Amino acid sequence: MAAIQLDGVTKRFGSVTALQDVDLTVESGEIFGFLGPNGAGKSTTIDILLDFVRPTTGSATVLGHDAQAESVAVRSKTGVLPDGYHVYDRLTGRQHVAFAVNSKNGNERPIDLLERVGIADAADRRAGDYSKGMTQRLVLAMALAGAPELLILDEPSTGLDPNGAREMRDIIREEADRGATIFFSSHILEQVESVCDRVGILNDGQVVAVNTIGGLRTALKTDSRLEVTLASPDDGAIDAARAVSGVSSVVRDGAVVSIAVTREAKVDAIRAIDEAGYSIVDFTTEESSLEELFAAFTGDGEAASQPEAHIAASEVAE
Amino acid sequence: MSWAAVARKDFDDAVQSRTIWALSGFFILLAIGLTYAYAEVPLLAGGEGTIGGLVFFLAGIVGTFVSVTALVLCYRSIAGEAELGSMKLLLSLPHSRSDVLLGKVIGRTGVLALPLSIGLGIGLAMGILMIGRGSVQPAIVFLLWTFVFALAYVSIIVGLSALTGSTTRAAALSIGFFLLFEFLWDVVPFVVLFVVSGFSIPTSQPDWYPLLGQLSPSDAYVSGLTALLPDVARGTGQPIPGSGVDAFYADPAVGIVILFAWLCIPLAIGYTAFSRSDL
Repeated sequence: MAAIQLDGVTKRFGSVTALQDVDLTVESGEIFGFLGPNGAGKSTTIDILLDFVRPTTGSATVLGHDAQAESVAVRSKTGVLPDGYHVYDRLTGRQHVAFAVNSKNGNERPIDLLERVGIADAADRRAGDYSKGMTQRLVLAMALAGAPELLILDEPSTGLDPNGAREMRDIIREEADRGATIFFSSHILEQVESVCDRVGILNDGQVVAVNTIGGLRTALKTDSRLEVTLASPDDGAIDAARAVSGVSSVVRDGAVVSIAVTREAKVDAIRAIDEAGYSIVDFTTEESSLEELFAAFTGDGEAASQPEAHIAASEVAE
Repeated sequence: MSWAAVARKDFDDAVQSRTIWALSGFFILLAIGLTYAYAEVPLLAGGEGTIGGLVFFLAGIVGTFVSVTALVLCYRSIAGEAELGSMKLLLSLPHSRSDVLLGKVIGRTGVLALPLSIGLGIGLAMGILMIGRGSVQPAIVFLLWTFVFALAYVSIIVGLSALTGSTTRAAALSIGFFLLFEFLWDVVPFVVLFVVSGFSIPTSQPDWYPLLGQLSPSDAYVSGLTALLPDVARGTGQPIPGSGVDAFYADPAVGIVILFAWLCIPLAIGYTAFSRSDL
């Protein structure tokens, strides 16, 4: 049985179309990354799964229950870390988690859940005094209450430092090992890459790709990047590389020629440059990052030409 | 029973409001002070005081305290959570929207019941000791009916709060309600009568006129109290709403019906809006 199934979901807010005919299936037991730039409609999709908003047309089914008609049943088996939430400033961390455990008819001790997310020492402080990262951990602890079959996490690493983000990924893996399905959204790509079985990419309200990371690379064909350092800068090498079948783009920066190429055609590209008479000092090859794939799918040209400009890095800097 | 978890959480949260405790402290002192004055100053009691007389004496300040405090305590209860985003946290858990409303009403009525219990509890106990005669029964009926009144007022304001996702609009609705039904209600029935008389000074009072005067929650509360304690009301010279009018609704018991209507109708309307709204 699919854990999540969206059929032809469209959501309009007034004249703005947030989601356009979205079909999506998340299988039971998988870790599914839901990717897209800010404003793509990821949170709206999650809001529909939880009946926070109602689709204009189409239907959503979660764990076999209609997301709208049987929302309480859905939420009783689902742990949620929502987006744009606010905690109860006057209640302590322990009170928050106790409320979640009571609401879910769980049997955990609140302190154990707080221990698991690393804020047990702040259990009796008011949540209003928590930092953003601690608040995010607190709400994760609430989501874990009652050992849910499905975890829906909207931008889970928001506000977390790199260490916190790693702990978040560890918890996601532990929950998956327990048998839970994980559905999480992110615009921070490297985190999705390291934990997800499959990803879906949403752009401008439409699902543009659903695949494994490897499958996405294959779908794009340019799954490798080859950097060739020449003895002397020369545009002729660009033309030589471009002529090779399997090469999708070539750019030169000084003596370094950067080539997007299929895995099979890498050797052909090096040979073509060499045979055209340009002497090669050095070359490196790497799998294309998810950033590049993501940029290719979402038409973000700037990021595509500057793969080093990690969206994730700028996020951490904030 | 999902509402019980919401009610408990909401009680724990709202009971920490400093504004509520400032209002409550004032009320508790006032209730004690008025009781003392009633028992000590024969002029206030209109002769020798009785427990029943004290009950009606205190009912007036209860009306004001409950309406003001329910407003402050509840106007943000739904709209504020929706605006701030804590509603997402609340509805991520398996609560239906009706459970959320019910839990809010019960939890916040619990908060309001605390100062009422303390203030009236001490006041009535003092009254019983100082006056020392008459039945205790009116005091018990008064306390219980006051809790029903608090429940009704909380559900009115929670219902209004559920109509909108904006704290500002929720405040405007609640304050508007308070001004109309608590502040201006003494003149509203007359204005209505003036209008239906063709914008002229009316020469006679139609049968429905006293009924209109009982429509505000506080008036319905006092009128209901009169119906629940008829002998005490007569004995202490309370005005009996509807006396002298020959109609089936000219009975103070109508106040009980009106208060139960206030308990249900605004909340039902609020629920309809809240259940349809996007967060």
